[in-house]
Amino acid sequence: MEQFLTQYWNDISALFSNSQQRLFWGYLLSASFIAALFSLKTRTGTLKTTVKTALGLPHWLSKSARADYQLILINKAIYLLFNPFLLGKLTVATLIFETMHLSLGHRNIETELPEWLIVMGFTLFIFIFDDFARFYTHKIMHEIPWLWEFHKTHHSATSLTPLTVLRTHPVEGMLFAIRSALVQGISIGIFVFCFDDKVDLFTVLNVNIILFMFNLAGANLRHSHISIHYYPWLEKILISPAQHHIHHSTAPRHFDKNYGAILAVWDRLFNTLHLSEAGTTIQYGIARDQKEGEQSLRALYLSAFANSFKILKSRLYKYRLFARKIKIKDVNKNTNHL
Amino acid sequence: MKLTRLFSAIAIATLSTAALTATAATNYADFPVTVKDYQGDKTSSISYGGQIARQVLHTSLMKLSKTGNGAANPELLAQMQAYFSGKDEGRAILAPVSQEGFVLAQSKVDELSKGKNLAGKTYKGVIAGWPGKKTGVEVLEFLIEKAASADAGFDYSNGMDYPQLISKFAMGAIFYNQAVDNYLDEKLAADVKPNDKPYKDGAAYTGKEHVWDEAFGYFGAPINAAGLDAKEAYAIAKGKKEIFATADLNGNGKIDLDTEMLYAHAYYAAGADKAGKSNYLNVITKAFIDGRQLITDAKGEKLSAAQRSDLSAFADVIKTNWELVIAEAAFKYAGSVYGDALKLQAGVEKNEDVKAAFKKYIHHWGELKGFSMALQTGGKDLGGFAVSLNRLIGYSPVLLGNTQVTGIDAKGNYQQESSISLNEFALHMLKVQKLLSDKYPLKARLNDKLENLSALAAKLGTGKSTEND
Repeated sequence: MEQFLTQYWNDISALFSNSQQRLFWGYLLSASFIAALFSLKTRTGTLKTTVKTALGLPHWLSKSARADYQLILINKAIYLLFNPFLLGKLTVATLIFETMHLSLGHRNIETELPEWLIVMGFTLFIFIFDDFARFYTHKIMHEIPWLWEFHKTHHSATSLTPLTVLRTHPVEGMLFAIRSALVQGISIGIFVFCFDDKVDLFTVLNVNIILFMFNLAGANLRHSHISIHYYPWLEKILISPAQHHIHHSTAPRHFDKNYGAILAVWDRLFNTLHLSEAGTTIQYGIARDQKEGEQSLRALYLSAFANSFKILKSRLYKYRLFARKIKIKDVNKNTNHL
Repeated sequence: MKLTRLFSAIAIATLSTAALTATAATNYADFPVTVKDYQGDKTSSISYGGQIARQVLHTSLMKLSKTGNGAANPELLAQMQAYFSGKDEGRAILAPVSQEGFVLAQSKVDELSKGKNLAGKTYKGVIAGWPGKKTGVEVLEFLIEKAASADAGFDYSNGMDYPQLISKFAMGAIFYNQAVDNYLDEKLAADVKPNDKPYKDGAAYTGKEHVWDEAFGYFGAPINAAGLDAKEAYAIAKGKKEIFATADLNGNGKIDLDTEMLYAHAYYAAGADKAGKSNYLNVITKAFIDGRQLITDAKGEKLSAAQRSDLSAFADVIKTNWELVIAEAAFKYAGSVYGDALKLQAGVEKNEDVKAAFKKYIHHWGELKGFSMALQTGGKDLGGFAVSLNRLIGYSPVLLGNTQVTGIDAKGNYQQESSISLNEFALHMLKVQKLLSDKYPLKARLNDKLENLSALAAKLGTGKSTEND
């Protein structure tokens, strides 16, 4: 128990002290700096009002934000208990490595490619692969009804703060962990097989340099009340905070848009890109009319199970009906032949 | 149970501190005679000459096994047998031998101890990793016979490097087995070789003192190994003249083979420790010294239950780390065989002359095989782990026509059958490394072929996995 509590506390404090985490204090600081500059540049009222609005205290204290905090604390304990049983990236990497070894029939690890190119290739590959995997998982979390029930926990946030990034149903959190294990395991397995000990990652503060730049450039503002948008041409390449706000919008025209994490190219490819709309006030949440108890832990944790179970049950029922119809058709066919 | 362990740990910590501060025994030396009513003139109770004699019988046997000319050679066979099972007087120490700047004090086995052989102390159990259901003694006899007619120790048709197989397996089946399955195991029992009696009539050492000394002798460390740097230790075993002054502890201008030389697993402990990630040589020797101090401190009285419990704890440190030293060596050579197999395959595909690559490949396989069989001679049932290890490594490496030795016929000839490819065999070596690292908490992990996978996995961290965009 003591070991569990120590680990739990370490995990919670790592959220803000580990540079591999989105909520690392350095990234929060840079996001605050960017938010302050943006607010000053676009201010319409007095300095006092501008500072007050930028700080957004009501957002941090809202019922929705308080639910975020509770979810984060509870989820950490759940992950600590269950994550050791999930698929690990080293298992995937080893499997990929061994499969390639067997199926390709040889391993020629002598390459003339310069080491920096291999490291750059790996850094870029894993970034792109991971970003696509995040986009696609996100897309199916929206489009497959029983998965949406779990993703709804995230979308039920009516106020966005940087901590909303961790407002996740634990089932979804575990799916994300498996996704990461697959992406990283596959990348490591392939690259180590091909380039052996020449593979490495360009990092800054122990983080992939591209992700570090993304985080430093205000990634935390994606979940915030500061709606920074980019030039339209840039929003076709990179998802701006304002575009992510659209993704959280309750307006039907914004539904199922901007699934991307960093790159906007995936949304363009799948026709789900929506550029930011200057001057539009966006209401966050699942629907305009908020339900009573929507932010309760019961709703956030248990409703997803109940609703997805109903969906899966009705699917099963439809499938059985369909199967029965086919069977009846077959019987009729056979009878007609007689 | 936990409480007993806790008390034992506290006791050991106290004893260790006491040993460091009070008696400060840093060498395996200067332990006085404690036998009650001892009538002789000896002042030291240390005695493990028989074990050092076996150390040089082993190194000499290995040297001989490299001298075959590829044809039947009864003379060489008789010579090798003299070192393995003979007890004759006058046998010369063939290795190590004096070199310029590194002079040894002894040149005959008898100068260390008379009438000793290896066969009498070899593991009697069946060796599952070698074909033919042979006992440890029979495996060594078989290997010696084959080596006598091999080409400088090599049998290229069957992928055997006999000097490596003989040496690495003998180190396990004789030294490791005797020490961990005999002296540090059943001979530590209360009524076996008690401490209140001399080991034998007139001896200057008690039963327990000698039992402990014998185990130390089989480890093969010089008396100062507890504080010896791994690189220096390694240089001593290699007979480097730059290290002579450090090695010559008593300053007599010669290296005394019984107190100042490094052999067998002590040498491999230093080999692993050289990488700076482990400290097997110092830890094992320190536990030997601490255990010996405990026995000496009993002043010739029977050991109490608490003293025996503490002594067993020191023995456990030795046994655990000794096993790790062997596992580390097997891990290292599995990595070597992996690289060799890939290079060999690349050479074959490019139609290159692969004789040198093939020799290196079977040389490393011989080391791996020897160590892997040695690992199974510690008296422990390694169960499914041993089965997997033996299957993955095979009875021979995969040969160039994708065949492998699968057995031995009634005449002692190897039987081969078609097997997997070199590439698949290389993959087996990775599985051997994985198997060993899953089973043992290895620290040195030399030649770790999957290190890149785990290093990159660690570098990528887990940060983003639960973030929701």
